[in-house]
Amino acid sequence: MGLRDILSALRRPVGVHPGEKKIMSDKLTEHRHSDSGITVTRRDFITRVAGTGAAVAAGTAGFAALAQAQGAPKPQAAAAPKPPADPAGTISNDAVKAEKVPEMQYHSERPLTGSVSAEHHNYAVTPTDRMFVRNNLLTPDLSEATHKLTIKGLVDRELVFSMAELKKAFPAVTLQGMVECAGSGRQNFVPAASGTRWLPTGGMGCPRWTGVRLRDVLNAAGIKPNAVHVAGQGGDFGVIATAAPVIRSIPLSKAMDSDTLIAWGMNDGPLPKVHGFPLRLVAPGWVGSASTKWLHTLTVLDAPFKGTYMDSSYRIPKHPVKPGERMPKDAVSTEAWPVKSMITHPAPNVAFKVGKPVLVEGRAWVGEGDIDRVEVSFNEGQTWQRAMINSGGDKYAWRIFSFEFVPKNPGYTTVLARATDSRGNVQPMQSTWNPLGYFWNAIHRVGFVVET
Amino acid sequence: MTIHRNFFPAAFAAAVFLAHSGMAIAPLAAQEQEPPRTLVQGRGVELTTARCVICHDAQHITRAKLSREEWAFNVKNMIERGAPITPEEIPQIVDYLATYYSRDSAPPAESAAAEAPVAAAAEDPAQRLLTANACIACHAVDRRLVGPGFREIAQRYRGDSAASELLARKIRDGGAGAWGQVPMPPHPQLTAADLGLMVSWIMKQ
Ligand code: HEC
Ligand code: HEC
Repeated sequence: MGLRDILSALRRPVGVHPGEKKIMSDKLTEHRHSDSGITVTRRDFITRVAGTGAAVAAGTAGFAALAQAQGAPKPQAAAAPKPPADPAGTISNDAVKAEKVPEMQYHSERPLTGSVSAEHHNYAVTPTDRMFVRNNLLTPDLSEATHKLTIKGLVDRELVFSMAELKKAFPAVTLQGMVECAGSGRQNFVPAASGTRWLPTGGMGCPRWTGVRLRDVLNAAGIKPNAVHVAGQGGDFGVIATAAPVIRSIPLSKAMDSDTLIAWGMNDGPLPKVHGFPLRLVAPGWVGSASTKWLHTLTVLDAPFKGTYMDSSYRIPKHPVKPGERMPKDAVSTEAWPVKSMITHPAPNVAFKVGKPVLVEGRAWVGEGDIDRVEVSFNEGQTWQRAMINSGGDKYAWRIFSFEFVPKNPGYTTVLARATDSRGNVQPMQSTWNPLGYFWNAIHRVGFVVET
Repeated sequence: MTIHRNFFPAAFAAAVFLAHSGMAIAPLAAQEQEPPRTLVQGRGVELTTARCVICHDAQHITRAKLSREEWAFNVKNMIERGAPITPEEIPQIVDYLATYYSRDSAPPAESAAAEAPVAAAAEDPAQRLLTANACIACHAVDRRLVGPGFREIAQRYRGDSAASELLARKIRDGGAGAWGQVPMPPHPQLTAADLGLMVSWIMKQ
């Protein structure tokens, strides 16, 4: 199979409509299970599943009542859900939770989704046990000893590295960088958008990552002149064989950014399994799905990858739609996060005293660019005052802001924080509604009590 | 906005109210209640459970209130992600979702739902539990789906006096390794009585 075939195969849609006979290419849907070293294609599964076509109303055979109750003609050839043929082991929710702080709140169990609220983020560097949890599929239990990274597609030479080879071949880099779920803060949208609701501030974190520059690895492979996107694929899989693999691609400009890493370390330890062990991409500042976990294959492409996780998810309308309307045709992929901030101290509803200083603290970040200033308001936005910020630090790390507030009057008091980025973008009062509820970045507000 | 009293408790209703009352900034303390773990009874509930609660919780649906258009988009999306649904089933599932999890209209009253023909499916309490808790999304009686068939489970554990307890615990806690690497999700919401009913039904297959 030549390069052209591979690439055109890669560009065919990932999802297969079970009602359709059309099967996508082997290459596109290969599930590589590093533990076994075997490459299994989804074509195998689908053909096998289609073969059981007689198994009609999947999972309901023992319940004749169901077919009757539907009062409809028997559905034809529904693929009975089958598990993947040779899955790796998986990590249980309990094992993941055991490594997280008790303050972590879980928003769904299957898949496991968890995050801590703003006041539990009052750390300069997000500790591993406070990093948010979010997968699309199961959490695979991969082995470092057998893991391989393949670089292919529009490259001069296809490369394959073991973990040891990768670590030896390129200089290691450690840097702090933001990773935030595109749907972070989704619960604030009205009307509610579908998907994980998160907390008001959402699922994000800014740990230190250790790895090699994606740029160095791509340069070693040699990028062809017509390359425009780089797709990452990880070793996660679903409970059923037909579950589409999660493949996302990023523009070459982001792939070549000096801070985009292929990482194996988090906060000076190994990556925890749930955060992508043994290898992941870190495309800091961008939506979390750009930072492919359990990374095993990078494919250099001459167009954005075509597949359900590019074409139907992680998209926002090019021009805003009326709240409640469905996704229009001209939607664009979510990339860098817009400017955002959160107040990490005080925690909501804590009591302070008149005349005693209250240290207001928080974090501000933006997907590309820098934070220019952060302002705070104690009168619901009538007047604003400049907070101090720690400029400097790594390019994609959040900035810490602080402001000493001396309450003059007793009573319930609120603080608002508003960040402005280096391009002049200011955090809005309300984020633009979009059908999948991405990019909530509106001004954060915390209330506390001042006593006499 | 209509709020189904069974599904959206006061705390959430209050948050919705605040958000609607022109307050531009996120509510100060939005502590949300856990959405129901099973789909509400109504026409199409068995089919929707069997097709939609394989890869993720029913809560992905019960926490949502969407327009018919958005549900149609969502179902198309899920099929792309690998949901095993035939073209004939799509309208039945979208109808169910758009009727019972609608942003635009209240779901039919409980009594109307109870009169729906699906009631017939639920004579046997064990079968009702297996359906409502989406066991049927992954298990059939006579063949392997995501998990083993109920008959092969019964065969494996026949005559094993400890089996009932072991299986009840396994269903509650979930886990992998007995039949393969794919894990069964935990079902912490099930009571000992419900677990007992299901296990004895399974052991009779
Ligand atoms: C092949 C596995 C699979 C099946 C079967 C499936 N889904 Fe999903 N669904 C996913 C994945 C993957 C996600 C994204 C990750 C998450 O939120 O769990 C998702 C997310 C969702 C969401 C959150 C919003 C979004 O778009 O991410 C809703 C609502 C949802 N599914 C509803 C359904 C409904 C309704 C059905 C049945 C028609 C269904 N799902 C069947 C895999 C599946
Ligand atoms: C998402 C798919 C899924 C759902 C939903 C599910 N199961 Fe399972 N079940 C499995 C899998 C996979 C296995 C095999 C686990 C293993 O290998 O240890 C299994 C195993 C079992 C077993 C045998 C356990 C053993 O150790 O031998 C029983 C009994 C069972 N399931 C009952 C249920 C019941 C009852 C429900 C509903 C409350 C349910 N399952 C829901 C996937 C599922």
